[in-house]
Amino acid sequence: MDRFSGNFDRFSDLFNPYDSNPTNANHAIGDFTKCTRKPLVMGSTVLGLEYQDGVMIAADTLGSWGQLARYRNESRIYPVGNFTVLGAAGDMSDFQHTKHMLDSLMIKEYYTNDDHVLSTPHIYEYLSRVLYHRRSKLDPLWNTYVVGGYNNGERFLGYVDLLGTTYQSSIVATGLGAYFAQPILRNAVEGREGILTEAEAIEILNTCMKILFYRECKTLNRIQRAKVTADGVEISEPYALPTEWSFGEGIRGFGTQTQ
Amino acid sequence: MDSFLPVQVSWTPQTAASGSDFYPYTNNAGTVAGISGGDFCVMAADTRQSFGVGYLINTRYQPKMFKLSNGSVLGTSGFYADGLTLIKRINQRLEWYKHAHDKEMSTPALAQLLSITLYSKRFFPYYARVLLGGLDLEGHGVVYGYDSIGSYEPCLARATGSGGSLIQPFLDNQIYRKTPLGILQAPHTLDQVKAVMRDSFTSATERDIQTGDYLELFIITAQGVDVEKYDLRKD
Amino acid sequence: MSGKNCVAIASDKRFGVKYLTISMEFPKMFQATDKTFIGISGLATDVQTLMERFRFKINMYRMNEERDFEPITLANMVSSTLYERRFSPYFVEPIVAGLDKNNNPYINGMDLIGCSTTACDFAATGTPEDQLYGTCEALWEPNLEPEELFETISQTIMSATNRDCVSGWGAVVHVITPERVITRTLKTRMD
Repeated sequence: MDRFSGNFDRFSDLFNPYDSNPTNANHAIGDFTKCTRKPLVMGSTVLGLEYQDGVMIAADTLGSWGQLARYRNESRIYPVGNFTVLGAAGDMSDFQHTKHMLDSLMIKEYYTNDDHVLSTPHIYEYLSRVLYHRRSKLDPLWNTYVVGGYNNGERFLGYVDLLGTTYQSSIVATGLGAYFAQPILRNAVEGREGILTEAEAIEILNTCMKILFYRECKTLNRIQRAKVTADGVEISEPYALPTEWSFGEGIRGFGTQTQ
Repeated sequence: MDSFLPVQVSWTPQTAASGSDFYPYTNNAGTVAGISGGDFCVMAADTRQSFGVGYLINTRYQPKMFKLSNGSVLGTSGFYADGLTLIKRINQRLEWYKHAHDKEMSTPALAQLLSITLYSKRFFPYYARVLLGGLDLEGHGVVYGYDSIGSYEPCLARATGSGGSLIQPFLDNQIYRKTPLGILQAPHTLDQVKAVMRDSFTSATERDIQTGDYLELFIITAQGVDVEKYDLRKD
Repeated sequence: MSGKNCVAIASDKRFGVKYLTISMEFPKMFQATDKTFIGISGLATDVQTLMERFRFKINMYRMNEERDFEPITLANMVSSTLYERRFSPYFVEPIVAGLDKNNNPYINGMDLIGCSTTACDFAATGTPEDQLYGTCEALWEPNLEPEELFETISQTIMSATNRDCVSGWGAVVHVITPERVITRTLKTRMD
């Protein structure tokens, strides 16, 4: 029997072609040259939306090691400069590398002291070129990034993945979130970006993250939220979403309740 | 000219086949078409960006056709990141040309440049189906069709991308007026060409899941480039 | 392709192996009843075998029931015949087109194991399927009269097969009306 549970769920290939399982027999543990082609600690969904004051993104705080919920306090949202925020899915070590890289960039720009500040589109462009360059070397940074920002009254929300594919949209969702949360976000946000209040935006993101927690294996109900407005970046402390499981009592026909 | 060469990568089909699960391409698809007329050229593309294998729509509006600095228009479909990179490289080369020669590059020269740029990545190609539209040296409309490694030809009407095989025979029928007796090209006006384009894309959108949402028309005349946007089906 | 109280069915005339053209007079359609045709594209030996099997079944039906197949019944017969070979299928994709007893058009397209789709407008199979669907979508409109329908289907099949290097070499069009079947041969490019 195949003891590697990662091989049981064939759907993971379909839903997330970049996923992998470190317990898989074929995994390149020990062959460090291949490590960046085989992600280890993985983050899951990041959601982002535009609302009237700026943009808001949300992510849970789980770093999965294969099917194991290994790191339960992994922050996947990171501020870059004063008006940009980065949300990351995929390999967490590659994310940390990216954080260092962007920090160095911002420091270098700061010391130039020319009164120019990198705004969100600049950072997004830089990041997407780095990711495209790494994919062209066949040594990708195994991440999907959501870049949110607010500069001079302009909202910005962009997506870039390990292949260098980019798009900007008023809603963005990565991983399984693209299947579960994207339709809900489209209904709730598209066409209403200018009138959506902060309270509504929070409510929408909480709902989506809760639905994802119910249905996706590699999530927690412990999430972080970030908003970028005219006042700058504000990243919340991790907080738990209330969940409701009592309906399970009434379900009959499988599991332990077969009658 | 070393700086014009692409980044060297240690890629061969053998290294790609052994060990690595990473596949450096995806297909964000979409359709691009172009029709040239006597003193104009109409380029058209849809604006949907798909996720590739996942039956997902990334976004309904991400333009994949761009006006270049010399007044011609370059449309791409296939792998969006490659298409975008190609356009950045072409734009850069246009700028260098302008500074070196103090004039804009002509569309036929650009067509050749585009071909060798694609061919420079012959063994790690840009997975982009591109179409170049503009006016030639005499001011006549021209459309250049390419494959992803740089073969190209000028043509009257050309469609490429995911809906290309659906649109191309229709363009043959409406623009080339192909008959058993040969090609009887009917003279066509700008309005007729625009109508044919819109019909082509509404038809392709019916049957091709990766085409849809919005249609962008770039109308190139001696006066410049006009952009028009129309609705397509969004399902 | 359906019209107003009429249907048309058309095919090219090429028979080839890969890029070698062997015959330019290979009929891919045959008349099943007075007002119904079956067109079959795919592996030629299967096409011929199936045509014979269908002819046999149609004749048996006529003798047993003393009436002709309705197009919908015929389509079901074709579908179940194909599904009998579910795990060693005939490599064909048939289309059934005809007028029913009320002279309403009926069109049905199938895959190689008989998964059938009834279309109110048009159906297309074969190597230039994409080209045919694209052209049909653009040229077809509802309630075409027989002569208009003939022109539409002819333009469609000529444009589409000209963009497919293994189709063409002439075409045949049948327009089925309540009164008669009009059969015409089209000259197309022979290369």
